[in-house]
Parts: sequence; C-alpha cells; structure tokens
Amino acid sequence: MKEIVVISGKGGTGKTSITASFAVLGDRDVVIADCDVDAADMHILLQPENAQSEDFYSGELAVIDQDICTQCGKCFDVCRFEAIDVSNGIHTVDELSCEGCGYCARVCPVDAITNIPLNVGKWHIANTRFNQPFVHAKLGIGADNSGKLVAHVKNMAKEIAEKYNRPYILVDGSPGVGCPVVSSLSGAHFVVLVTEPTVSGLHDLKRVYELVHKFHIKAGCIINKSDINMNKTNEILKFLKEEDIIHLASLPYDENFTKAMTDCKTVVELKDNKLKDILTQSWEKIKKLA
Amino acid sequence: MKIAFTTKGTEWDSKMDPRFGRTEFFVVYDEETKELSFVDNKDVENEAHGAGPKAAQKLSELKANVLITGNGPGGNAATVLQKLGTDCYIGAGNMSIKEAYDAFKSGSLQKF
Repeated sequence: MKEIVVISGKGGTGKTSITASFAVLGDRDVVIADCDVDAADMHILLQPENAQSEDFYSGELAVIDQDICTQCGKCFDVCRFEAIDVSNGIHTVDELSCEGCGYCARVCPVDAITNIPLNVGKWHIANTRFNQPFVHAKLGIGADNSGKLVAHVKNMAKEIAEKYNRPYILVDGSPGVGCPVVSSLSGAHFVVLVTEPTVSGLHDLKRVYELVHKFHIKAGCIINKSDINMNKTNEILKFLKEEDIIHLASLPYDENFTKAMTDCKTVVELKDNKLKDILTQSWEKIKKLA
Repeated sequence: MKIAFTTKGTEWDSKMDPRFGRTEFFVVYDEETKELSFVDNKDVENEAHGAGPKAAQKLSELKANVLITGNGPGGNAATVLQKLGTDCYIGAGNMSIKEAYDAFKSGSLQKF
C-alpha cells in the first residue's frame, strides 16, 4: 500500500481540484483522506454519503465552576491569552481565547477551575459518489488543525486501505509548513507538489519542498496555470531541475476548472477537454513513481 | 551501544513505524546485554502539536545512542537529537525491526 500526498505550500494553486481529479481517476484503487481540515472542501466535489461520524477532541479548555468560585480574580491576573472575561464581577472563560495551558487552574486558591478535553470537531468515514472510502474531518468554529487530527485521519484511511486491499491512499495535504504538514508527510511514499507561476507560488514551493527533502520523500511537481506567466514557469522548471524534482505536468490556464467546480464536479468528468488527458497521464506517472 | 527503533509492535518481527514523533512504540535494543525493551509512545501520539520534540525528549530518557526510523524527524526534533548526539538513520520505514537492525549493521541505511 502506497501513500501519495498532495501539497502546495501556497493556497489557491488548484491542489484540491487536482487531488479530487486523481481521486476520480484512481477509482477503486484509492482510499481518499482529506487532511486539509482547516478549510476542508474536497467533500463538495466528491459528495460523500452514509458518513459514520465521531467527535474529535484535541487540546483542553478551562472551565470555572461558579458554585465554588470566589471571584478573587487570580485567574484573570495570570492569563496571558486574555481568556478570562469579567462581567458584573463574574469570571468566565472565553472559549475561543483559552489555550488550555492550565495556569489559571494552578493558581486558583479554591480549585474551582478544571481543564476539560476540548471538542474541536468531527471526523467522518464516508463513501464518495464514486463509492470510494473517504476519510475527512470538519473543525468547529475557531478550532485549529493539528498534527494529531491529521495523523488520525491518515490512520483511519490506512486501516481501510489494508482491510479492502486498496493499493493507494490519496491524501489532500494540509497547507503551510507547520505541524499538520509534517504529520501529512510522515509515512508518505510520494509527494505531489502543486504550484502556479507566481512569486508566492514559487516561494512557497521552495519552502514546503525543504520539508519534503528533509524527510527524503520522492517528489513530483505539477505547474498549474503554467501559461499565465512563462518567465515564472521557467524559473520553477529550473528549480525542479536543480533539486531533482520530477516535472509531472504543466497545466494550461483553463476555465473548465471553474466550470467543473460550479457543477460540483471534477475537471476530469467534463467531456472534450485537454486537462483530462494531461491529468490522466500524470496520475499514471504518479502510480508508477510511488 | 543502545539502538532505538520507531515501531508498530514490540517484537523483533514487528513492523517499523515510518513516523518519528507519532510512532506507536520505541523499541530499544541494548547490544551489550542483548536485551530488547520497549516504551509505549501513546502519550506523545495524543499531543495535538509538537509530537516530534516530545518524542525526542523521550528518546533522551532512554539514553539511546542511535535512532533507526523511516522518514526521519522534522526540523525541531532533529535539532534536539543533534544536541543529544543521537545518530539518526533513516529509510527503514517498510522493514521489520530485525530487517532494520540488519540493514543498519550492514551499513545500508542512510544517515540523516
């Protein structure tokens, strides 16, 4: 079983549209995991059904028991996240500001404060409209993605892939270069880097590749909207060559992407378009390289 | 010499875990006493953030001289391991512990 992770560094490069296209092309060979849970949107394209859902807890939240609290204000004094609100002399915790550090509970003279596990959202196992297993998660308002949640989503996908003998796990990776991305990458067999020919596209590609390189994972790159700025595209190609990154494909700017999206479809489902051929070839290459 | 492995189980035949921070277990082989011991890493697996540095801290308590793993530690954990003087070898993510040990002994694992 091989784990293929798609990441971009920069947002808006078309990572999810391309991952969803690979999911469709992968058909019965893939289990799909959406680890881009801050703004999970692959479900819009794949329209999963029959979800089996569970709450997800991560981090902690301070809770003040008003029956015990003497309103002394010590918690207010020590909280460096300004998470203790005082209204009419009553101290309460602002759930969005609390980091769960536990300092307030430590200084409370009457033990009125306890830290409880924080429910940050739900994770789901469902079937896409192509009847493929799809593991994804949705975070609550103000909740933040974590390496733990990403590891959990990937572990579920791995279990399913093993159980049903699916050769590939296709992971829509998390944005940026922080903890969730490290967690997305660890254990991966192949990384697909999706970028675009813009200043920040190349900058963020370099930044995220540093991480991929550190983990010694084989990588290939897709340059999306490659014809909107040929100078930048050439710069990207030069970078790929220098770093020994496989150039999987250059996609032209094509409004079929948007057209497909407004129909809640992936671009490979539209008839008569060049993108489908290029993406099909890329997917075949990726399967061989993983 | 004490050698630590990131693993999914606790026996010689168990599979390696390619991950460092969120590995299921650390198995330690003491070449002098020929003893195989293990530490459950569940507490670190349950950390929302910073699993790598915490796992590195755990490794320092195990006093391992060498770490054998899959992808290798991330940036922060790598700094901790470097300070500790723990040598890290990678590329053993798809092996069993025994295979990983043999590969290390024959010098076929890549140094991180």
